[in-house]
Amino acid sequence: MSTVFKNVMDAIDIETFLVCSSESEGKELAIRMVKDMGIQDADIVFIQYQGPGARVRVRGYVYKPGASYGWLNNKM
Amino acid sequence: MQQKPILLAPLDPVHDIGLKIMKRSLDDAGFETILLPPDYKAGEIINTAMENDVDTILISRTLGYGVADLLANFVDLAEAAGIRDKVKLAIGGMAVRPELAAELGFDAGFGPGTKPEELLAFIENREYVPDKSNAVKEKSNLTEGYTYQYKHQGMERMLDQIVELIMNWAEGKTSPAVKRAAIREKMLINPVEAENLDLLNQYLEHSDEMVRDFYNDRKIPDKCRPLGQDEIDSLERYVEGTKERMSEQKLQHVKDNPVVFVQYGTGCPFMDIAHIKTSEAWGADGAVHFDPSWGARTEGFLSGYLTHEQDGSIITLENLAQIKKHLQPSTIWQVRAHRGLNTPETVLLAGHLGADMTKINIVYGSLGAGTDPERMTVDAIAAIKYAAKFEMPFDIVTNEELCGVPAHKAFAGMLIVNHLARRLGASPVLQPLFCYSPEMMISGGMDDNYIDFNAAKIMALRQVINAPIWPGAPIGFLTQDEDRVQSSMTTALHASLAASLNVDAISIASSDEAYSGGPIIVPSRIDTLRATKEAFRFFGSAGIQPTVKAEEMASTLVSEIEQVLQNVLDKGCFVQALYDGILGSKEDGAYPGRSGHGTITVE
Repeated sequence: MSTVFKNVMDAIDIETFLVCSSESEGKELAIRMVKDMGIQDADIVFIQYQGPGARVRVRGYVYKPGASYGWLNNKM
Repeated sequence: MQQKPILLAPLDPVHDIGLKIMKRSLDDAGFETILLPPDYKAGEIINTAMENDVDTILISRTLGYGVADLLANFVDLAEAAGIRDKVKLAIGGMAVRPELAAELGFDAGFGPGTKPEELLAFIENREYVPDKSNAVKEKSNLTEGYTYQYKHQGMERMLDQIVELIMNWAEGKTSPAVKRAAIREKMLINPVEAENLDLLNQYLEHSDEMVRDFYNDRKIPDKCRPLGQDEIDSLERYVEGTKERMSEQKLQHVKDNPVVFVQYGTGCPFMDIAHIKTSEAWGADGAVHFDPSWGARTEGFLSGYLTHEQDGSIITLENLAQIKKHLQPSTIWQVRAHRGLNTPETVLLAGHLGADMTKINIVYGSLGAGTDPERMTVDAIAAIKYAAKFEMPFDIVTNEELCGVPAHKAFAGMLIVNHLARRLGASPVLQPLFCYSPEMMISGGMDDNYIDFNAAKIMALRQVINAPIWPGAPIGFLTQDEDRVQSSMTTALHASLAASLNVDAISIASSDEAYSGGPIIVPSRIDTLRATKEAFRFFGSAGIQPTVKAEEMASTLVSEIEQVLQNVLDKGCFVQALYDGILGSKEDGAYPGRSGHGTITVE
């Protein structure tokens, strides 16, 4: 996972349009995209499959409440 | 002051509005300016600059496509003409980014939202220092100017009688929560540790096993952990650093109202603080503390800096104190006490720490939030007394409407608690819901629009009483889905309706309102703050106009509220009225709570 992620307060959302043949394929692709970035705690916030593919917002939690926050220990 | 003229030239076939605005500012500041019309080529602009011996050229460009090549070409031509070293070049426009301008060889780039003052600073070769005086916010008092006088004398008479019934019923009754609050009150003002230990033991006699285990055996509840000193120290540094860089935005455009609250309760008080600071920076006027539901069902409070992995941030004196400490001076801070087994102590702690507001409602707490009606009534009276003591206004939330209770019943309950509060010397705020009302989902009353019924609620309340109104909680409840645009849009539209109706405050959700897969994230809070700000800008002094149906609905609401109050009087007992469903029945979707049942004693 990139060290820049230490500065993310809680999560990264990726909003995009994925060309795919079904909603389930869109979900799978979106989750894989976040995990490929090195963030394992991934979830679909929103997906709407229509036409050529799916409009999707996929979230990767970097810090959930109660974790040890990298940005709290940064000297800013 | 510049001696040589400034040339302003749109490098654009059509658009020159931005330059005209800037020209006016430069003229007012005493500069000589030359404005070229649109559709001049780069070479023509440079020739004009040379002919007039200017020392600054301000270019504007609106269209984004191919802008980099166009601008690079302009700088090259200036160099080729031999004027680059003698003339300052700046570029401004919707497509411009300062970083791009610098890469292309310009001395400055001014993007969207540039203020004339920034350009003046560039012309005058000085650093731009933003004027923050307009952004200084003052804390609002939602109850200021309200008389609480009734316009509906019939209802006032009925409420007088109902409150008399409540006071007589409650005489001599107490609960573990009331006792704990009294003990806590002594602990808060007693500096002697040994005596406090004694008081703690008394406190624990009225507390649940989980709380006793925590104090006696340091047993930390599941999914909780104490925060370490290094984390606390890091938080201090983080917040101090943030405050130095903070500037506050105002969401409101031409009106002072509504004041905008966000709701927080990530589970971790430190993440809460981070979210609150971000919300403050993006314009939030107030923040509402959400505690976990398991805490509300537990007799007694824990202590220390505790973080929690689920929704809601645990109420401890230390957690609340930490949050309070780091708020901006203008932020209105509310700690809720509207349900559960700790309401008097919650209000006591909130008041002791300097909270600005709390939240109390017997009816919602007992019909929609799981607390036994008898218990809720005794505790709420004690809580209201603390609120009055600390001069802490509180809102009376009507979220039982979300269970299916019709608005008129919820409002009858709200007005009863309002009247009780006034009897006890407190300052309540009415909180109707702005929502897609379940009652209306069934009847079809909101099939056409979301405006009329919400507007009718405000109209109805204003026909009854002169009191502050704060729609919640949050506004737009049950209209949001997981689509960020949709969610932000519906929040902003409800905010606009609230502004049109001149209410005093609103609570807004984040764009994560409908997402249940994990904690709310801070970008989602910014979504709705930005959307609300833009909506206020769009409407300004104009507004949303309900149809004539709103007046009809308001009249119906008033009549129906009156009938419910009569039904409560006919029952002869407010608490029994709660149990019997007069203020929200099982058929409506309201169920009297069981938490704390059988714990009332008579002293």
